[in-house]
Amino acid sequence: MTTPVTTETLANGKTYTHCTAAHCETGVTSALFFDKGLHLSEPMIFGIGSGLFFGHLPFIKWTGLPITTFRSMPGLVFKKTAKRLGAKVCRKRFRSPQKGMDELRRVIRTGQIAAVTTNVYWLSFFPRRYRFNFSGHNFIVLYENENGFRISDPALMEYTTDCSVYDMERARFARGPMEARGLMYYPMCVNPNPDIRKACIDGMLDTCNQMLKIPIPLFGVKGIRLVARKIIKWPEKLGYVEACRQLAHILRFQEEMGTGGAGFRYMFAAFLQEAAELFESPELNELSNEMTAIGDIWRDFAVVSSRIIKQRKSKKEETFDKAGGLMLICAGREGELFKNLRDVVGKLKA
Amino acid sequence: MKVKEVPQDDVPDFTEGWLKKGNYALDDKGKYVMVPSKGWVVDEMVNRMAYEEYQAKVEETRKAVLAGKQSPLAYYMELRQLIPKFLGKTAGIATFRVKRHLRPEIFAKLKPDVLDCYAKALAITRKELNTVPRNP
Repeated sequence: MTTPVTTETLANGKTYTHCTAAHCETGVTSALFFDKGLHLSEPMIFGIGSGLFFGHLPFIKWTGLPITTFRSMPGLVFKKTAKRLGAKVCRKRFRSPQKGMDELRRVIRTGQIAAVTTNVYWLSFFPRRYRFNFSGHNFIVLYENENGFRISDPALMEYTTDCSVYDMERARFARGPMEARGLMYYPMCVNPNPDIRKACIDGMLDTCNQMLKIPIPLFGVKGIRLVARKIIKWPEKLGYVEACRQLAHILRFQEEMGTGGAGFRYMFAAFLQEAAELFESPELNELSNEMTAIGDIWRDFAVVSSRIIKQRKSKKEETFDKAGGLMLICAGREGELFKNLRDVVGKLKA
Repeated sequence: MKVKEVPQDDVPDFTEGWLKKGNYALDDKGKYVMVPSKGWVVDEMVNRMAYEEYQAKVEETRKAVLAGKQSPLAYYMELRQLIPKFLGKTAGIATFRVKRHLRPEIFAKLKPDVLDCYAKALAITRKELNTVPRNP
């Protein structure tokens, strides 16, 4: 559960409480709904918005290497959560940076907090080594002050911080793969008593479909198998050093970008646990335990891979076969889990 | 993952001493809680690999510029982690022209207003754009 750290007073006198979260988008969504009076934890948002996913995208390159994602497309979690909770939202992209900044100022002046999607490279408050050209970081803009904007970044900060106007404009309108084009979003009105049970069921079913039913072998459980088989072949195909580079790239997606551990698997387990309480269903609790076990295997995969990378020159002990094997185990168990989850959810009543 | 298994490794260079990442872990009663993690060596290592690769590329380009093989524009493009396509989009110049401008002899003949476009896109002054740092 998130713990409050600092509070800020907004333009209309309302109080905003900053909470830390594991991931930027779910944290931001949770905070936006919290501001509207709907108290949902970060894992809950993650589950309802069906954020869990796996995808291998060899045709989109990031720092020259293919993207392997453990979550759904940036922006989708907010969109889906809002739809399933019956909230009216405003999502806007802009052609002109000027208009985008003016609109942001107009909105936050009314005391409405707004989330923006930004490119990490241009945010100077970030640690230097995190600043890569990646357009998919979300944070909340609270109000304007003499230094620029007061922002709350749930994923990285334990407190609110300032961001200069120049940084903000560059970060929001940076060009590159998956560019944000100044995307800004906030809920306009939220149903105070949403049907959370229905929303959870929708979220879980959607997650199952995403993981099991996409008929393209790059996504879902099939995607995990594909990548695992690729990893086993890499040392022969690409040479040891290049194979290590690619493996490190996957690890970055799994652990570095604020995933709550093991590529969101622990966060999903946390969601299943909360859902089990909500539905009073022991089956869901069992599935949560299984998900935790799968998360532990992902974690093992990370440790084994890191050993492979460390011993780049000597090539002993840990092998790519072992890393790929662990991933295949993950794929098998996740496949089973989502099939079971689909059956369990089918029996639940909204 | 149990709460006590959440990695708390010291990697000050990576997190600059303040950054903490949230990890979900099970407490004693088997409930999920969020635990801030100081850092993890695995995490730090993969980031370092990518960061060193980026720095090596910038350094290589800098040497190429000093050797007269590429224009200073190439150095600043690498420094900002751009490729000709996205530099062109940011500056409002066609990609094929950006690629030409990476050649020193063509870069030398550029008009001031084109240079201004690049300088603005790369967040540097026009004077800086004409040279690269002597030392890494």
